Amino acid sequence: MKKYVQKATALLTAVTMAASLTACGGDAAQAPADTPATDAASNEESATQTDAGTEEASTSSGDTASETTGDPFMKFAEPVEIHIGQQAYPTLKFPDGDTNEDNVYTRYLMDNFNIQVVVDWSAATGNDYTQKVNLCIASNTLPDGMQCGRKEMLAAAKSDLLYDFTELFPQYASPQVRAIMDSGDGSAYEYSMYNGKQVCTVGVDVAASGESMVNVRQDWLDELGLDAPETLDDIEEIARAFKENKPAGDATIPIAGPDKNNTCYTNFLQAGVSSCGFEPVFAAYDAYPGYWVKGDDGQVVYGTNTENSRKAFERLASWYKEGLIDPEMGVRDQADEQINAGNVGMYFCAWWKIGYGITDAYRNDPTANWQSYVVKSEDGKWNTREQCPVASYCIFNKNISEDVAKAGLIINNVWVRDENKLTTEYGANTSIYWYPLRNSMGALDECEVTYDALMQVLNGEKTAEDFNRGTDDAYKLLYNDCVTVTDCVKDYTAGSNELGIENFDVNNTNFPRLYSILAGVKPSALNRPDKSVYSACYSQTESMEAKWANLETAEKEMALRIITGKDDISAFDAFVEKWNNEGGSEITAEVQAQAE
Amino acid sequence: MKPKRHLKLQTHYFIMTLPGLLWLFFFSIVPLRGIVMAFENYNPGLGLWKSPFVGLENFKYLFSLGDAKRVIINTIIIAGSKIILNILVPLTFALLLNEVRNLKYKKLVQTAVYLPHFLSWVILASVLLNVFSLDGIVNQIMHLMGKESVIWFSESKYFRQLVIGTDVWKEFGFNAVIYLAALTGIDPTLYEAAAIDGCSRWKQILHITLPGIAGTIILMAVLGLGNALNAGFDQVFNLYNPMVYSTGDILDTWVYRIGLVNLQFSLATTAGLFKSVISFFMIVISYWAAYKFADYKIF
Repeated sequence: MKKYVQKATALLTAVTMAASLTACGGDAAQAPADTPATDAASNEESATQTDAGTEEASTSSGDTASETTGDPFMKFAEPVEIHIGQQAYPTLKFPDGDTNEDNVYTRYLMDNFNIQVVVDWSAATGNDYTQKVNLCIASNTLPDGMQCGRKEMLAAAKSDLLYDFTELFPQYASPQVRAIMDSGDGSAYEYSMYNGKQVCTVGVDVAASGESMVNVRQDWLDELGLDAPETLDDIEEIARAFKENKPAGDATIPIAGPDKNNTCYTNFLQAGVSSCGFEPVFAAYDAYPGYWVKGDDGQVVYGTNTENSRKAFERLASWYKEGLIDPEMGVRDQADEQINAGNVGMYFCAWWKIGYGITDAYRNDPTANWQSYVVKSEDGKWNTREQCPVASYCIFNKNISEDVAKAGLIINNVWVRDENKLTTEYGANTSIYWYPLRNSMGALDECEVTYDALMQVLNGEKTAEDFNRGTDDAYKLLYNDCVTVTDCVKDYTAGSNELGIENFDVNNTNFPRLYSILAGVKPSALNRPDKSVYSACYSQTESMEAKWANLETAEKEMALRIITGKDDISAFDAFVEKWNNEGGSEITAEVQAQAE
Repeated sequence: MKPKRHLKLQTHYFIMTLPGLLWLFFFSIVPLRGIVMAFENYNPGLGLWKSPFVGLENFKYLFSLGDAKRVIINTIIIAGSKIILNILVPLTFALLLNEVRNLKYKKLVQTAVYLPHFLSWVILASVLLNVFSLDGIVNQIMHLMGKESVIWFSESKYFRQLVIGTDVWKEFGFNAVIYLAALTGIDPTLYEAAAIDGCSRWKQILHITLPGIAGTIILMAVLGLGNALNAGFDQVFNLYNPMVYSTGDILDTWVYRIGLVNLQFSLATTAGLFKSVISFFMIVISYWAAYKFADYKIF
């Protein structure tokens, strides 16, 4: 008996561990702002090219930018140790013998720059990691450097725990990093500042990550003889057709909804859009819930509390009631599972999901022709929210030596310059997520520029070599994308600009990125928004710090309960009143003051 | 026996308790100084002793929050029901199992109900979400009986019952072990004597078994009372969603969102301290009650 219990216990423990590993791995699949997956063979050319570029950059960096006085790719005379906190990805394994302290990336940094990466602690990505970061801040035990989010960065900056990069950054950031920081309106610098000092390094995310689209099974549309959606009425009609005709049998879900880890829409504190959220439905009503919207009269209002948001909530509730939206939205463990299983007809998300996010959908069903479209309002306008251009942060302990601070900047420079080389030539077996202190850096318009370039290459108007612009270029993956696109796309009729899943080799290692660009970015590359809405602020004001958790809870609860019909629309009015009474009006006044 | 010799004989007991005491010291005694944070506006840069002192501000603010009341009510209902049911169900189960004569069957049942205890809530939550999902087993059975499907975990009116029920289901096998162990400690001659005197099995349970394990029951109840405000963070956190906040949000999940997600260290400490103080009083009361009503002293 005892033996059996032991055996059973051991077995269960094994199952438990395996399952918890899978559970943690979920996060790693997300937010691949610029994740290249390239096979070494197709890339020899680009790798050699980067090699040549390396020498050039390290010898001539002095004159490429006049304000640079330091060498952004210098090799220290003595090894410099940098202690970091590392996000761990339980499902992304190292090749045999490698660890998070000793792998292709750390060896590369040691051999070429004499930077020794020491991992003080690591925690599984997601809640565990954030928790560890917050504990480090609370106990004032920051490692030399670590990744974090905006909220954590500001909390640490406010307590004066962070290294001041104001002087060092202009000297030691590479021209390429600065080109990316300058892309768009250059607001990336603003986000790395606190009280006029630059207190962190930031990752600039492509703007497309903040624009949500409707993604639809084109093959289902074709089968039912329906046109591609343009307005909410079209989407409703298509969803109804999917519901009636059940292309995936009884399991058919016309429109996917957010799962229990996601919300109906992201707010101003979060980067990106909600996976399977409803941002475009609100935007079609000219409503931007979760954002601080500045009206024409200069008055700031909280987007959730507007009459237009109310209308959108009512619309969504009617869709849910009719069975057009996943009945289990908000409760499901993983909405993506349903998409991958081929049960979903439509979902809303930004460009990356269609390729990076649901790769398994194509493996399971090679005819699943997902296509992406903008959602327009009744009068044919495309309104969309735009995210904060900065999506990730690296913070450094106030007490580090200048050499360690330089090492931190160099690690960032190296990543931006050598990402391709490291992932193809050196790191074919090691996920890019393991790069220490990785900031995902993409010029704001990288997605659209890449789409245009790839179409030119496919149409035979230009060759990949035309996009070989050297290593100071902000579009760091462009050349590689252009080289690999012809391997991955086949049977394309030049000039037609029509690409379906049948044109792609779904097993090609570049497929996730290329499909994300060619199908996911297509709508934003071919249309420009009639109205782009930025939040009047992307961080917490003073009274928000104490009061926001409470308001956010109430908002999430209200949104889900109204849409799923648990409460009727009068709960919206009750929420607005509660929101204003419990600190909302005070916070609005602060945001207003900040916006002026 | 002289006191000194007495101590010497017990040395190995002290050594055995040492790891537990060390654990207690480092993880329960040392962090006590963090309580200071509840009375100040904590700033990590200034540290524990230099952050500005604000007195009872945090407490005032905490209870002015609209959610405080509902969170406390949810916590008490969930934790209270768990304490009561986690005594009654395992006890009944142990008594029933004790009457089973077929040893093989007895051990089989005991092992089977014992297993869920070893699964973490992270895993069980996924399993439960599936079992209670729209096309999960529960709804399929309801369907066969001609009833409407329910998305269980999105309904606030069922959430507490589900949390309490699944927790009892997970733990009753394990908790029953303690009662089963206590049952073996009862002198079998008592049963023989009772049987000779013509006692039915029911009377035997009432007059021999229950009094025989009363001490254990009281001990379990008293230890349980300390958890009066512990509604089970792991479980609720992995099962809940915003649709059921109104009945499912508990003190611990609330503190988690305020403190660790929103970086309000002082406020979270305040809520934690509030919880500890209440728990402390509960333990004092139960200690006194155990002595008064059952003449039982725990220490």
